[in-house]
Amino acid sequence: MENQNEKPTRISITLPGNAYFMSGIRDFTLTLIKNTTNFAEKWAFRLQSVVDELCNNAIEYGSGENEDILVTFVHSKEQYVDIIVEDTGTGKNKMTAAEMNKLLEERRNENYKFTGIRGRGLAKIVAEWTDEIEFTDKEGGGLKVRIRKYLKDPRYKSGLPESTPTHLVLNV
Amino acid sequence: MAEATILTEDLPVKDPNSKAKLVTISGQLDESNVDNKAKEIYQVIDATPGKLSLIFDLAGLDYMNSKSIGYLTDWYGKITERGGKVLIAHAKPNIKDILQVVGLTQLIQMFESLDEAKTVVLGTSAETPAAAVPTQTPTQAPTMTQPPSQPETFKLN
Repeated sequence: MENQNEKPTRISITLPGNAYFMSGIRDFTLTLIKNTTNFAEKWAFRLQSVVDELCNNAIEYGSGENEDILVTFVHSKEQYVDIIVEDTGTGKNKMTAAEMNKLLEERRNENYKFTGIRGRGLAKIVAEWTDEIEFTDKEGGGLKVRIRKYLKDPRYKSGLPESTPTHLVLNV
Repeated sequence: MAEATILTEDLPVKDPNSKAKLVTISGQLDESNVDNKAKEIYQVIDATPGKLSLIFDLAGLDYMNSKSIGYLTDWYGKITERGGKVLIAHAKPNIKDILQVVGLTQLIQMFESLDEAKTVVLGTSAETPAAAVPTQTPTQAPTMTQPPSQPETFKLN
Protein backbone atom coordinates (compact mmCIF):
# COMPACT_ATOMS: atom_id res chain seq x y z
CA MET A 1 0.00 0.00 0.00
CA GLU A 2 1.33 3.39 -0.95
CA ASN A 3 1.84 5.97 1.72
CA GLN A 4 -0.86 8.49 0.83
CA ASN A 5 0.78 11.16 2.96
CA GLU A 6 3.94 11.05 0.86
CA LYS A 7 5.03 14.51 -0.20
CA PRO A 8 3.99 15.24 -3.78
CA THR A 9 6.67 15.52 -6.42
CA ARG A 10 6.87 19.04 -7.82
CA ILE A 11 8.58 19.97 -11.08
CA SER A 12 8.60 23.51 -12.44
CA ILE A 13 9.74 24.54 -15.90
CA THR A 14 10.12 28.08 -17.15
CA LEU A 15 9.58 28.48 -20.87
CA PRO A 16 9.98 31.41 -23.22
CA GLY A 17 6.55 32.55 -24.34
CA ASN A 18 6.95 31.21 -27.83
CA ALA A 19 5.12 28.34 -29.50
CA TYR A 20 8.47 27.14 -30.83
CA PHE A 21 9.09 25.44 -27.48
CA MET A 22 5.76 23.70 -27.12
CA SER A 23 6.85 20.40 -28.67
CA GLY A 24 9.46 20.11 -25.92
CA ILE A 25 7.00 20.58 -23.08
CA ARG A 26 4.64 18.12 -24.75
CA ASP A 27 7.36 15.49 -24.94
CA PHE A 28 8.22 16.12 -21.30
CA THR A 29 4.59 15.76 -20.24
CA LEU A 30 4.15 12.52 -22.15
CA THR A 31 7.27 11.01 -20.64
CA LEU A 32 6.48 12.22 -17.13
CA ILE A 33 2.95 10.84 -17.08
CA LYS A 34 3.95 7.55 -18.72
CA ASN A 35 6.98 6.87 -16.58
CA THR A 36 6.25 8.32 -13.17
CA THR A 37 2.51 7.91 -12.67
CA ASN A 38 0.04 5.06 -12.88
CA PHE A 39 -2.18 6.81 -15.36
CA ALA A 40 -3.05 4.76 -18.43
CA GLU A 41 -1.17 5.67 -21.58
CA LYS A 42 -4.14 7.44 -23.12
CA TRP A 43 -4.12 9.87 -20.21
CA ALA A 44 -0.49 10.69 -20.94
CA PHE A 45 -1.59 11.79 -24.42
CA ARG A 46 -4.60 13.61 -23.04
CA LEU A 47 -2.63 15.52 -20.43
CA GLN A 48 -0.08 16.33 -23.12
CA SER A 49 -2.87 18.08 -25.01
CA VAL A 50 -4.08 19.79 -21.83
CA VAL A 51 -0.61 21.23 -21.18
CA ASP A 52 -0.25 22.35 -24.78
CA GLU A 53 -3.61 24.14 -24.79
CA LEU A 54 -2.98 25.87 -21.46
CA CYS A 55 0.48 27.01 -22.53
CA ASN A 56 -0.79 28.29 -25.85
CA ASN A 57 -3.44 30.32 -24.05
CA ALA A 58 -0.83 31.73 -21.68
CA ILE A 59 1.39 32.71 -24.60
CA GLU A 60 -1.37 34.20 -26.69
CA TYR A 61 -3.24 36.08 -23.97
CA GLY A 62 -1.24 36.32 -20.77
CA SER A 63 2.42 36.99 -21.43
CA GLY A 64 3.90 39.74 -23.55
CA GLU A 65 6.63 39.30 -26.10
CA ASN A 66 9.89 38.01 -24.62
CA GLU A 67 8.10 37.11 -21.39
CA ASP A 68 8.17 33.65 -19.84
CA ILE A 69 5.48 31.25 -18.77
CA LEU A 70 5.86 28.89 -15.82
CA VAL A 71 4.60 25.30 -16.00
CA THR A 72 4.47 23.26 -12.80
CA PHE A 73 3.64 19.58 -12.44
CA VAL A 74 2.62 18.26 -9.02
CA HIS A 75 2.27 14.52 -8.73
CA SER A 76 0.84 12.99 -5.60
CA LYS A 77 1.49 9.31 -5.93
CA GLU A 78 -1.64 7.21 -6.39
CA GLN A 79 -3.69 10.38 -5.95
CA TYR A 80 -3.60 13.02 -8.65
CA VAL A 81 -1.59 15.14 -11.03
CA ASP A 82 -1.86 18.92 -10.92
CA ILE A 83 -0.69 21.01 -13.84
CA ILE A 84 -0.29 24.71 -13.19
CA VAL A 85 0.42 27.24 -15.93
CA GLU A 86 1.24 30.83 -15.00
CA ASP A 87 1.66 33.86 -17.22
CA THR A 88 2.98 37.29 -16.40
CA GLY A 89 -0.12 39.29 -17.21
CA THR A 90 1.81 41.47 -19.62
CA GLY A 91 0.05 40.30 -22.77
CA LYS A 92 -2.12 42.60 -24.83
CA ASN A 93 -5.08 40.26 -24.53
CA LYS A 94 -4.73 39.34 -20.88
CA MET A 95 -7.80 38.14 -19.04
CA THR A 96 -8.71 37.97 -15.38
CA ALA A 97 -9.72 34.85 -13.49
CA ALA A 98 -13.32 36.08 -13.41
CA GLU A 99 -13.30 36.62 -17.18
CA MET A 100 -11.84 33.15 -17.74
CA ASN A 101 -14.48 31.54 -15.53
CA LYS A 102 -17.21 33.36 -17.45
CA LEU A 103 -15.72 32.39 -20.81
CA LEU A 104 -15.43 28.76 -19.78
CA GLU A 105 -18.97 28.68 -18.48
CA GLU A 106 -20.27 30.11 -21.77
CA ARG A 107 -18.36 27.65 -23.87
CA ARG A 108 -19.29 24.67 -21.70
CA ASN A 109 -22.94 25.38 -22.34
CA GLU A 110 -24.29 22.62 -24.54
CA ASN A 111 -25.94 25.18 -26.81
CA TYR A 112 -22.71 27.07 -27.46
CA LYS A 113 -21.70 26.90 -31.12
CA PHE A 114 -18.03 26.88 -31.97
CA THR A 115 -17.88 28.71 -35.26
CA GLY A 116 -14.30 29.92 -35.57
CA ILE A 117 -10.94 28.25 -35.88
CA ARG A 118 -10.15 28.89 -32.23
CA GLY A 119 -11.86 28.41 -28.91
CA ARG A 120 -12.14 24.66 -28.48
CA GLY A 121 -8.99 24.12 -26.43
CA LEU A 122 -10.17 25.18 -23.00
CA ALA A 123 -13.79 24.12 -23.18
CA LYS A 124 -13.58 20.96 -25.26
CA ILE A 125 -10.16 19.56 -24.37
CA VAL A 126 -8.98 20.94 -21.04
CA ALA A 127 -12.39 20.87 -19.37
CA GLU A 128 -13.35 17.46 -20.72
CA TRP A 129 -10.12 15.77 -19.72
CA THR A 130 -9.63 17.17 -16.23
CA ASP A 131 -11.52 16.93 -12.94
CA GLU A 132 -10.88 20.44 -11.64
CA ILE A 133 -10.01 23.78 -13.22
CA GLU A 134 -9.13 26.81 -11.12
CA PHE A 135 -8.24 30.30 -12.33
CA THR A 136 -6.45 32.63 -9.94
CA ASP A 137 -5.30 36.22 -10.36
CA LYS A 138 -1.69 36.44 -9.22
CA GLU A 139 -0.76 39.15 -6.76
CA GLY A 140 1.94 40.61 -8.92
CA GLY A 141 -0.17 40.40 -12.06
CA GLY A 142 -0.90 37.56 -14.39
CA LEU A 143 -3.10 34.51 -14.36
CA LYS A 144 -2.54 31.12 -12.79
CA VAL A 145 -4.49 28.15 -14.15
CA ARG A 146 -4.47 24.93 -12.18
CA ILE A 147 -6.01 21.71 -13.40
CA ARG A 148 -6.22 18.48 -11.47
CA LYS A 149 -6.67 14.97 -12.75
CA TYR A 150 -7.35 12.31 -10.14
CA LEU A 151 -5.88 8.90 -10.65
CA LYS A 152 -8.60 6.77 -9.18
CA ASP A 153 -10.83 8.68 -6.82
CA PRO A 154 -14.19 7.01 -7.54
CA ARG A 155 -15.96 10.36 -7.14
CA TYR A 156 -14.22 11.55 -10.28
CA LYS A 157 -13.65 10.38 -13.82
CA SER A 158 -11.21 7.53 -13.81
CA GLY A 159 -7.64 7.69 -14.98
CA LEU A 160 -7.11 4.10 -13.98
CA PRO A 161 -4.89 1.93 -16.11
CA GLU A 162 -6.84 0.07 -18.73
CA SER A 163 -7.70 -3.52 -17.96
CA THR A 164 -8.44 -6.42 -20.22
CA PRO A 165 -11.79 -5.90 -21.94
CA THR A 166 -14.56 -7.75 -20.16
CA HIS A 167 -17.23 -7.34 -22.79
CA LEU A 168 -17.68 -6.95 -26.50
CA VAL A 169 -19.50 -4.22 -28.39
CA LEU A 170 -21.25 -5.80 -31.31
CA ASN A 171 -22.03 -3.89 -34.47
CA VAL A 172 -24.98 -5.52 -36.08
CA MET B 1 9.41 23.84 -33.56
CA ALA B 2 7.15 21.00 -34.56
CA GLU B 3 7.59 19.45 -37.97
CA ALA B 4 4.70 18.56 -40.23
CA THR B 5 4.44 17.46 -43.83
CA ILE B 6 1.40 17.61 -46.08
CA LEU B 7 1.29 15.72 -49.36
CA THR B 8 -1.64 15.71 -51.75
CA GLU B 9 -2.41 13.47 -54.67
CA ASP B 10 -5.33 13.13 -57.04
CA LEU B 11 -7.59 10.13 -56.76
CA PRO B 12 -9.32 8.68 -59.82
CA VAL B 13 -13.01 9.51 -59.69
CA LYS B 14 -15.55 8.08 -62.13
CA ASP B 15 -17.82 11.12 -61.99
CA PRO B 16 -16.38 13.73 -64.40
CA ASN B 17 -18.03 16.51 -62.40
CA SER B 18 -16.20 15.80 -59.20
CA LYS B 19 -12.66 15.45 -57.95
CA ALA B 20 -11.06 13.72 -55.03
CA LYS B 21 -7.71 14.08 -53.38
CA LEU B 22 -5.76 12.16 -50.83
CA VAL B 23 -4.16 14.44 -48.25
CA THR B 24 -1.44 12.75 -46.22
CA ILE B 25 -0.42 14.62 -43.08
CA SER B 26 2.49 13.47 -40.96
CA GLY B 27 4.39 14.89 -38.01
CA GLN B 28 2.87 17.25 -35.47
CA LEU B 29 0.42 20.10 -36.03
CA ASP B 30 0.68 22.67 -33.27
CA GLU B 31 0.66 26.41 -32.68
CA SER B 32 4.13 26.80 -34.17
CA ASN B 33 3.24 25.53 -37.63
CA VAL B 34 -0.49 25.00 -38.08
CA ASP B 35 -1.30 28.38 -39.62
CA ASN B 36 1.26 27.92 -42.36
CA LYS B 37 0.36 24.29 -42.97
CA ALA B 38 -3.34 25.11 -43.14
CA LYS B 39 -2.66 27.45 -46.05
CA GLU B 40 -1.58 24.45 -48.11
CA ILE B 41 -4.99 22.84 -47.67
CA TYR B 42 -6.85 26.07 -48.40
CA GLN B 43 -4.84 26.35 -51.63
CA VAL B 44 -5.95 22.86 -52.63
CA ILE B 45 -9.59 23.67 -51.89
CA ASP B 46 -9.49 27.05 -53.63
CA ALA B 47 -7.71 25.63 -56.68
CA THR B 48 -10.37 22.97 -57.21
CA PRO B 49 -13.73 24.54 -57.99
CA GLY B 50 -16.84 22.39 -57.88
CA LYS B 51 -17.37 19.18 -56.03
CA LEU B 52 -14.25 18.07 -54.24
CA SER B 53 -13.76 15.31 -51.72
CA LEU B 54 -10.77 14.97 -49.43
CA ILE B 55 -9.49 11.90 -47.66
CA PHE B 56 -7.08 12.73 -44.88
CA ASP B 57 -4.60 9.93 -44.27
CA LEU B 58 -3.42 10.60 -40.72
CA ALA B 59 -1.33 7.47 -40.19
CA GLY B 60 1.78 9.56 -39.70
CA LEU B 61 0.20 12.33 -37.64
CA ASP B 62 1.41 12.19 -34.05
CA TYR B 63 -0.19 15.32 -32.61
CA MET B 64 -2.82 17.89 -33.46
CA ASN B 65 -3.92 20.83 -31.31
CA SER B 66 -7.29 22.50 -30.99
CA LYS B 67 -6.53 25.06 -33.67
CA SER B 68 -5.74 22.35 -36.23
CA ILE B 69 -9.11 20.80 -35.35
CA GLY B 70 -10.67 24.22 -35.94
CA TYR B 71 -9.13 24.30 -39.40
CA LEU B 72 -10.35 20.78 -40.11
CA THR B 73 -13.86 21.88 -39.18
CA ASP B 74 -13.58 24.85 -41.53
CA TRP B 75 -12.36 22.65 -44.40
CA TYR B 76 -15.27 20.31 -43.74
CA GLY B 77 -17.69 23.22 -44.07
CA LYS B 78 -16.16 24.48 -47.31
CA ILE B 79 -16.06 21.02 -48.89
CA THR B 80 -19.51 19.84 -47.89
CA GLU B 81 -21.25 23.05 -48.98
CA ARG B 82 -19.97 22.21 -52.47
CA GLY B 83 -21.33 18.67 -52.23
CA GLY B 84 -18.06 16.95 -51.43
CA LYS B 85 -17.03 14.67 -48.62
CA VAL B 86 -14.32 14.79 -45.99
CA LEU B 87 -13.09 11.52 -44.55
CA ILE B 88 -10.32 10.54 -42.21
CA ALA B 89 -8.37 7.30 -42.45
CA HIS B 90 -5.73 5.60 -40.39
CA ALA B 91 -5.70 7.99 -37.45
CA LYS B 92 -3.73 6.94 -34.40
CA PRO B 93 -5.64 6.34 -31.13
CA ASN B 94 -4.62 9.67 -29.59
CA ILE B 95 -5.73 11.53 -32.72
CA LYS B 96 -9.06 9.73 -32.78
CA ASP B 97 -9.41 10.50 -29.09
CA ILE B 98 -8.97 14.25 -29.49
CA LEU B 99 -11.22 14.39 -32.57
CA GLN B 100 -13.85 12.59 -30.57
CA VAL B 101 -13.66 14.81 -27.51
CA VAL B 102 -14.22 17.96 -29.57
CA GLY B 103 -17.13 16.35 -31.38
CA LEU B 104 -15.63 16.17 -34.84
CA THR B 105 -16.32 12.46 -35.20
CA GLN B 106 -20.00 13.39 -35.30
CA LEU B 107 -19.32 15.28 -38.53
CA ILE B 108 -16.50 13.43 -40.21
CA GLN B 109 -16.48 9.70 -40.85
CA MET B 110 -13.37 7.90 -39.73
CA PHE B 111 -12.01 4.71 -41.24
CA GLU B 112 -9.42 2.24 -40.05
CA SER B 113 -8.11 1.72 -43.56
CA LEU B 114 -7.47 3.93 -46.53
CA ASP B 115 -9.18 1.45 -48.83
CA GLU B 116 -12.44 1.76 -46.92
CA ALA B 117 -12.33 5.55 -47.20
CA LYS B 118 -11.49 5.39 -50.90
CA THR B 119 -14.43 3.08 -51.47
CA VAL B 120 -16.78 5.72 -50.09
CA VAL B 121 -15.28 8.64 -51.99
CA LEU B 122 -14.77 6.89 -55.29
CA GLY B 123 -18.43 5.96 -55.42
CA THR B 124 -18.30 2.20 -55.52
CA SER B 125 -20.14 -0.24 -53.33
CA ALA B 126 -19.86 0.31 -49.61
CA GLU B 127 -20.99 3.81 -48.81
CA THR B 128 -22.55 2.72 -45.57
CA PRO B 129 -22.09 3.76 -41.98
CA ALA B 130 -21.02 0.20 -41.21
CA ALA B 131 -17.76 0.90 -43.00
CA ALA B 132 -16.95 3.67 -40.60
CA VAL B 133 -15.28 3.26 -37.28
CA PRO B 134 -17.95 3.46 -34.63
CA THR B 135 -17.56 6.49 -32.44
CA GLN B 136 -18.75 7.40 -29.02
CA THR B 137 -20.70 10.45 -27.95
CA PRO B 138 -18.04 13.12 -27.53
CA THR B 139 -19.81 15.03 -24.84
CA GLN B 140 -19.55 12.08 -22.49
CA ALA B 141 -16.28 12.15 -20.63
CA PRO B 142 -14.57 8.83 -19.96
CA THR B 143 -15.81 7.04 -16.92
CA MET B 144 -14.72 4.00 -14.99
CA THR B 145 -17.24 1.85 -16.82
CA GLN B 146 -16.12 2.87 -20.30
CA PRO B 147 -14.64 0.06 -22.39
CA PRO B 148 -10.91 0.32 -23.03
CA SER B 149 -9.94 2.46 -25.95
CA GLN B 150 -7.47 0.06 -27.49
CA PRO B 151 -9.18 -1.74 -29.03
CA GLU B 152 -12.27 0.43 -28.77
CA THR B 153 -14.65 -2.07 -30.23
CA PHE B 154 -14.67 -5.52 -31.68
CA LYS B 155 -16.44 -5.99 -34.95
CA LEU B 156 -17.86 -9.37 -35.79
CA ASN B 157 -18.32 -10.13 -39.44
